[in-house]
Amino acid sequence: MPLLPSLANVIASAMLPDEDKKRLERLVYADAGHGYDAFGLHPDLVAFGQVLTAPLYDRYFRVKSKGHENIPSAGAAVLAANHSGAVPIDGMMVWADVLRNTEPPRVARAVADHFVPMLPMIGTLFARGGMVGGSRGNARTLLESGELLMIFPEGVPGVAKHFRDRYKLQDWRVGHVELAIRHRAPVVPVGIVGAEEQMPQIGRIPISIAGLPFIPITLTPFPMPVRYHIRYGKPIPVHLDYRADQADDPAAVREAAARVKAAVQALLEEGLAEREGIFT
Amino acid sequence: MSRPPIKGVLVTGTDAPAGELLVRALLNDPTIGHVLAIGQRRPEEALPIAHTARLTYLQVNLARERQVHDLLFGPARDLGVEVVVHTAMSRSAMAEGGGVHALNVEATRALLQLCERHPTIRRFVLKSFAEVYAVQHDLPVLIAEDHPLNLHPNAPQYVRDRVEADLHACVRMGLSPLQIVVLRCAESLAPGTGSQLFDYLESPVCLRPAGYDPMINVASLKDIVQALACAVRAPEQGVFNIPGYDTLPLALAIRKWGRVGIAVPGSWLTPLYRWRRRLRGHDFRYGMNRRRFHYSGVLDGRRAREVLGYTASNQVDWPIG
Repeated sequence: MPLLPSLANVIASAMLPDEDKKRLERLVYADAGHGYDAFGLHPDLVAFGQVLTAPLYDRYFRVKSKGHENIPSAGAAVLAANHSGAVPIDGMMVWADVLRNTEPPRVARAVADHFVPMLPMIGTLFARGGMVGGSRGNARTLLESGELLMIFPEGVPGVAKHFRDRYKLQDWRVGHVELAIRHRAPVVPVGIVGAEEQMPQIGRIPISIAGLPFIPITLTPFPMPVRYHIRYGKPIPVHLDYRADQADDPAAVREAAARVKAAVQALLEEGLAEREGIFT
Repeated sequence: MSRPPIKGVLVTGTDAPAGELLVRALLNDPTIGHVLAIGQRRPEEALPIAHTARLTYLQVNLARERQVHDLLFGPARDLGVEVVVHTAMSRSAMAEGGGVHALNVEATRALLQLCERHPTIRRFVLKSFAEVYAVQHDLPVLIAEDHPLNLHPNAPQYVRDRVEADLHACVRMGLSPLQIVVLRCAESLAPGTGSQLFDYLESPVCLRPAGYDPMINVASLKDIVQALACAVRAPEQGVFNIPGYDTLPLALAIRKWGRVGIAVPGSWLTPLYRWRRRLRGHDFRYGMNRRRFHYSGVLDGRRAREVLGYTASNQVDWPIG
């Protein structure tokens, strides 16, 4: 285990402002009996995650975000975001942003690709912060428990795309809306601007090492301090617009996914139009 | 609400703690007329329970079909046994071969076949194991009853036999005049249960793969017995997960058991634990548990709660807080 909750608690207590500590005490999660939920989330490690991401969030990527009122304060919902950046820091930034800007604080349960739980240390640390492996069963359980899912419908191809394809959404998978329709949850579109330029990717080596699906070839050896702009769009009420049984209707699911994709694309275009530069 | 009386219950595997405790629990239930306890020990060595008029103990080798037949169509019929609870299963992960298979699988098959044509038996409860499930990085953490089973071709006989016995009982559901209940029970952290995790935790130092700390679920014997008792009475048949009260990371389980956990490279563990087994005679096989020492797997007990009325309520008796 990378860090014991008690140690994480000591660090978080020492480094988090009192206001954040009080906020995080209101974190709602399903304690399975020993302070962890069944997936491994622990509130002390969530607090530690906030400490860990703070330098990146506040100083390095200087995240600006808007539309938090569109994130439901309770109940099941799916955040569907674009994915990019060679290394998936965008997920961490959305996770931190949701945690900081929801009341009571909510953990965006990132649904990661299958290889992430295989990564030593990282898989465990992310699980303590609320990440789950990308299986339908995990997503179903979380939605049934009224959790907030964070899904990147582009998956690994989004992170792996060439720099010339930045802000062009890749093949938009439909699983997120199928889940939302079946489990009666709205989908909140999320547009992330900035991550595309953090580590321009010009190629990749298709070999798998330590569970990673490929090795990216990037122009910079580490992410540049671009500014992140995160926007949450109005929830798309697929749970109201479609009957639960339409989760099995491929045409309805494709249509709903296209609505979400269009909403995310619109958020990206708004964000790109508004930003003054990559670093500002 | 008063519970309908049951004339007799036959319990196999009473040499093991779960079977023995189930016999005690059934004897404490005044609505159960008679308990027919089956074990492999001689009567004078078996069941440290005050023998009452409501308890009969018989030494039967379940691997012998003739003995099973004579048990069911002899004493069981005479006592009017209505429910069979089959908990007998080889407990050692090192036990292999035809004799072990005969007890683990063929005995289940024979019991089921014979119960189906029995004049008084109407319900068959199989105590199965969470080990029948596959645990992998790409499978759900919360294991429902439709979760893939561990049918890996290299799975040891310990797992293969459990999967085969479980599947055989499942296959008969709906085809058989019996009501069949399969309880896939979480591992009990108790001696004599065949728990791999218990044997693992017997070492003062517990090695685990560096970089991984999966969530596990363990049960107390009390809860397992409670689930078996619920299954004896429940009106439904089906497969049910029986989770324990404790869901926690492996590293925390090691600490709560009062052991020192050391993370080492995963590739070292199979040889190290092989040497431990050879030198110290332990039962724990790391290769068999490798995946669940990397990836989380926690039984989802919703169906058992809704249908059987079972809820885990007893913590494992952790030596440390």
